[in-house]
Amino acid sequence: MKEIEIIRKIILFVSGISATAVSFSQTEKQLMPSDLKQQTIVTEPVTLRKGFLRVGSMLNYRVADKYFSDDGVKKYYLSNAWGTRTSFNFTLQYGLSDRFEIEFRGEYMDTRLESEKTEFVAATNTTRSIVTKQKGSGIGDTYLRLRYQLLPENRYLVSLTGTLQAAIPTGEKNPTDIYSAERYDLPVGQGNFALSGGFYGRTVFYPYSFTASVNYIRNFEGSKKFSAADASEVNFRMGDVIEAYAGVNLHLNDWIVFSNEISYNHKGKGTINGNTSSLLPESWTLSYEPGLVFQVKRFRLGESVNIPLKGISIPADPLYIMMIQYIF
Amino acid sequence: MWNKNLLPLVMLPLYFCTVGPEVASAQEPGPRDKYTMLTMPYNKRPLTLYGGQFMASAGYKFAIRAQTFNKEGDKVYLKNAGTGSVFHYYVINAKYGLTGFLELGAETSLIRHGMRSQSVTYTTASLTSAERVTVNEFKEVKGMGDLLLTATARLPLEFKWFDFSLTGGLYLPTAKNEQDKPSHSVTDISTSNTYTVNYRYNYRYGFGVPVWLTGAGAKFSLGKYSLQAGLVYTTPREEGTGTRWDQTLVNSRTFDYQEKEYKYLLSDSWSGTLSFHYQATGWFDVSLNGSYNKTTGGWTDYWGNKYSNPETRIFIIEPSFELQITPTLKVCQSAGFPVSGKNCDAPFFLFTTLRFSQFPFLR
Repeated sequence: MKEIEIIRKIILFVSGISATAVSFSQTEKQLMPSDLKQQTIVTEPVTLRKGFLRVGSMLNYRVADKYFSDDGVKKYYLSNAWGTRTSFNFTLQYGLSDRFEIEFRGEYMDTRLESEKTEFVAATNTTRSIVTKQKGSGIGDTYLRLRYQLLPENRYLVSLTGTLQAAIPTGEKNPTDIYSAERYDLPVGQGNFALSGGFYGRTVFYPYSFTASVNYIRNFEGSKKFSAADASEVNFRMGDVIEAYAGVNLHLNDWIVFSNEISYNHKGKGTINGNTSSLLPESWTLSYEPGLVFQVKRFRLGESVNIPLKGISIPADPLYIMMIQYIF
Repeated sequence: MWNKNLLPLVMLPLYFCTVGPEVASAQEPGPRDKYTMLTMPYNKRPLTLYGGQFMASAGYKFAIRAQTFNKEGDKVYLKNAGTGSVFHYYVINAKYGLTGFLELGAETSLIRHGMRSQSVTYTTASLTSAERVTVNEFKEVKGMGDLLLTATARLPLEFKWFDFSLTGGLYLPTAKNEQDKPSHSVTDISTSNTYTVNYRYNYRYGFGVPVWLTGAGAKFSLGKYSLQAGLVYTTPREEGTGTRWDQTLVNSRTFDYQEKEYKYLLSDSWSGTLSFHYQATGWFDVSLNGSYNKTTGGWTDYWGNKYSNPETRIFIIEPSFELQITPTLKVCQSAGFPVSGKNCDAPFFLFTTLRFSQFPFLR
């Protein structure tokens, strides 16, 4: 009887400890909502958390200097022309749930092409200058993107996210304000709808994250003028695109990430009025993009350079990218 | 004889590399913890590295040559004529603090730059025939630069608010100044007399002769603010011999090239810099730099006659920052805006540098 009483006391004692032990052992750091909004591109979830809103802007800048010829050789443009292409993207991202994100992206384009050539005409003993001044400024195309975590990160070592994106041709697709063959405004939009789908995988081994993605873009038929001299629009369809990339991101410290990405992009031959055309050639490029991403509280600042390494029938100039984001 | 001269030069740095850190530790008061020294903010560190400190830097400059200054000092906008271009300039350097007041350095660079001239079309038209020849001219500068070796000495005192340094150096002509054989071509041949001639000249990137460098620097710090000034003078040790190529178009299709030697004397160069720094936090320094460069003297031989090199000058304003990422890693970035000049290009540039620093012989 005495033994039973001792056992009863022991059980009561252990039960008491157990009840309080649970409350004392739960001392891991509580993440505040503000902390969740300050995570870096390595530590943040693949898609935005439910109810989170992120706004951002990205600047892309490229000067036309070199290109990959159709036999894959990097060459300078020999004729004198100064061409630049600047794009300002504005993005809104919203977490519909912890696994489902919607993104709206608009862009403002600024494209310039200037040159001056001289012609000596011996028969009349005259000289004339041919001045080309072309610019294209305005709202470009609009993009709507959905991302859903098929294999969520909190359950699997490698997360898998499905992506669906639609491109809406809201930008001006034709040359406008045509004064002459050399002076007119360049188009700022592609002129066709497009739909793309793909998969994005990521795994995190802090302080690293490894990413990979594959994407297919289906371009639909559209119509536009390819040249200022065209009397009317022609039907065209750009070739479909396959994109793939792989990247490694590294935390240099708690708030600076060194990003690295290798990407491949292949665009098939396009058609004009149902026939293949030299204006829409098959092209591909392999490029490397190193960058630094700074997470300052809820602000995210980034800069990177996309360097084309190999390619065919495509510009070979570095693309400079600056990015700013803020999460609400 | 050359080997005998070289031996002490090689042995001396080796001696300092092994003994230097200990000597420096014994001579200098102040912080000796290597992490403290590696993370020392700009406003608290001297003009040279600490004794035993090694630093390697890699930088990339992207410059847009959209304008130039003519001989009257007026800006000429090249992009309007389509003759603007871009530079890709890469630089690497390594420095080592032999002691807390003596630093050795080595630096070299690589450049890639293509310049287009205005295209010209020559047309001859008659009732029976038409000839149309378009001429494009393109010059590429590509390759490694010379190797610069430097030694910098500063005041042998602990840095508190003032520092002063003197630098001596030599550019070794490891990159040749010779022009590679041009690669002209004839393209777009539509009829026998209508075609495009593409003149393409291929230049190297080097002085071709040894060039002396001397410099001085001073730094004042007051709290979070610092002022740094520097002056650098370079002058060639001797005249150089370069090569040029002349060409003859044969049968409107191919070119014959003739190589010719010529003499030249590089211009002397003066560079002055003044920078104002603000140490916003321990790991972030912002600055506004002003730099002025002027070249004078020198000549180039054309057809047996010496022609003076044009005097050039340029003044550039550069906002910059330096960010300590980890104890061993820093990133620096500056943007250059040319303000005034004469007889030289006026490129806008972005210059990003990663600096790795360590004390290889300190625990």
